[in-house]
Amino acid sequence: MIDRPDPLPDRIASLADLNAVKYIGSGVRSGREEPPYIELGRSVTATAEDDVRMRVEPVRDLVDDVMHLYRDDTRTRADAWLAPRLHAALRLTRREAADEGIWNHLAAAVAPDYVLWRHLPATGSDGGPPMVPSGRFHGAHHTQAFSRLWWAAELFRNGPDYAPVVVACGIQDVLNTVLRLDIIDHRPTAQAVVALVEQGVARTGREVNALAVVANAAASTLFYDVLAEDEERDDGALDEWVAGAASAPPVPRRSLPRGPEDGTVPEKAVAALVERFGELFQDAVVRGRTASQD
Amino acid sequence: MRVLPYPTPAGKVTFRVTAVKQDQRSLHTSVFSGEERVVALHQVERDDWKSSRIALTATLPMKEIEEGPWSDVAVVAVLTEKATNTRTTAVLRRQGEGGAEWAGRIRLRRADHRSQAELSVTVVATVDGVAGRVIGTSEEKWTVDLTARTPVRRSELQVDEVDFADGPHEWLRAFKDAPWLVETSGDLPTVHVNTGFEGISELLNSGGGPLERGIRDMLAAQIATDVWTAVFHSAVSDLELDADGNPEWPGGWRDAVLNGMLSDVLPGMSGIDALNEIHARRGESSGWNELQPRINYAAARRAKVARNLGTALRVLDMSQRENKA
Repeated sequence: MIDRPDPLPDRIASLADLNAVKYIGSGVRSGREEPPYIELGRSVTATAEDDVRMRVEPVRDLVDDVMHLYRDDTRTRADAWLAPRLHAALRLTRREAADEGIWNHLAAAVAPDYVLWRHLPATGSDGGPPMVPSGRFHGAHHTQAFSRLWWAAELFRNGPDYAPVVVACGIQDVLNTVLRLDIIDHRPTAQAVVALVEQGVARTGREVNALAVVANAAASTLFYDVLAEDEERDDGALDEWVAGAASAPPVPRRSLPRGPEDGTVPEKAVAALVERFGELFQDAVVRGRTASQD
Repeated sequence: MRVLPYPTPAGKVTFRVTAVKQDQRSLHTSVFSGEERVVALHQVERDDWKSSRIALTATLPMKEIEEGPWSDVAVVAVLTEKATNTRTTAVLRRQGEGGAEWAGRIRLRRADHRSQAELSVTVVATVDGVAGRVIGTSEEKWTVDLTARTPVRRSELQVDEVDFADGPHEWLRAFKDAPWLVETSGDLPTVHVNTGFEGISELLNSGGGPLERGIRDMLAAQIATDVWTAVFHSAVSDLELDADGNPEWPGGWRDAVLNGMLSDVLPGMSGIDALNEIHARRGESSGWNELQPRINYAAARRAKVARNLGTALRVLDMSQRENKA
């Protein structure tokens, strides 16, 4: 199995998709071979030298910790621990996080061992060896091993409060299905989904899935931004948070970190959507749910 | 126009951008173009701006709306970018008593956007006692381009002339022998043309005589065929599935590519049928090979290979005749 890369790069860089594809073959994806670190290191584009946020060490430490903490546990549970901490450690803007190259680099050169640890299936398909899908190394924002966690934290945090992220990441279907829906880009909608999970209205992955499907379908005729108006986020707070990276201590391991103080979602807006989604969900068909389970 | 289960006005919703401010400073009106429906935010050549405010005016069929079954009418500008999962809205206000125009401003935070955002207007009202119903959307959308210097609707393709061996993109070094390379992973497909490949830039940018032009157009057609083939494969392989396992239209340039090419790849099928078919064939790995010539045909057609090759051959023929004479 692949081990921690040695030597580890000092800085997070950008690895273009074409090269990620080239270096991440079936040997790497099945854990039999290490990525060709030296060659890979030559084909990356460096990030700004003076940007402390691009140091590898804080992220690598988090990855080591999560693999240690959840070594005997179901690995999907590690997501809820890592997502808020990865977000708080990196302090990226959305503009920066939309660069897939940095996620490619994290997966291929900084922590391929984590990608395997977290995403290697128990059995292979078609009689082959178990293999991590290539999309976990280089893929869409809701698929790639690191960007899915970062975006989950970004879209589900309530201002500086990461607690909703923990709830959202506790259900794999939220990461797998809900994260890619456009409706989640509306903050009160994301918070309403979390609230319904917390209230026990949608408990299982299937139920959350069904909830998201009806809410998404209804969004073609219902305009949530008017039903539940969000507030403008505070620009300065995000800038300050990013600037504060240089002097910030490592993210806490036991308690939740704090995110940027850019304003919380209006409670009234969340309440309005909780009510609306609750009604929609009543009529929804939940796959595999039988009368006895209700 | 999709069919909604409640009455909607027949009249059109249109809007136009009327002014753009960047960090409190008004930008010249040349940063936006009503004809192209583009706002180009990079014209000022500043990389340190924080936010822009875009003023817009929407025109609604107000006479119809006032006579119809709609109440609590709200007009909202919507700014989205898929790459950054960002969605911003701003409520527009009605201008004057009884007017048909609604105006307002929407904010674009630079930290929330990367390359191209989409701007549209949606009309919302209470219908049959249900609040927040969408009753109309502007058919024409504007593009807010964060990297463009001029407000021109960019084609579905970016061209980047760069030296593969010594240029700024280290990842291109591995391809230093290639004359060009198509990259489809970004927000827009990009052709990297290798200026280190001797003569290629000169040829592509040449005016020259008819013979040179002929060769140039053939080369351009060859590159374009590569591009169309690559973007088609990329668009098909990135398809996402809805809850029932059916492929969804991907949005952005991938949408345009599939819309344009599927009719040549799977002729005689409606758009959504063709999308389902292509997805099924790819997944089952049967019937995919049979499609290759059709994909190639569709790409060559869009690249206008036949016309360019035909013209070049005629020019060659002519020059040979002149040489003999």
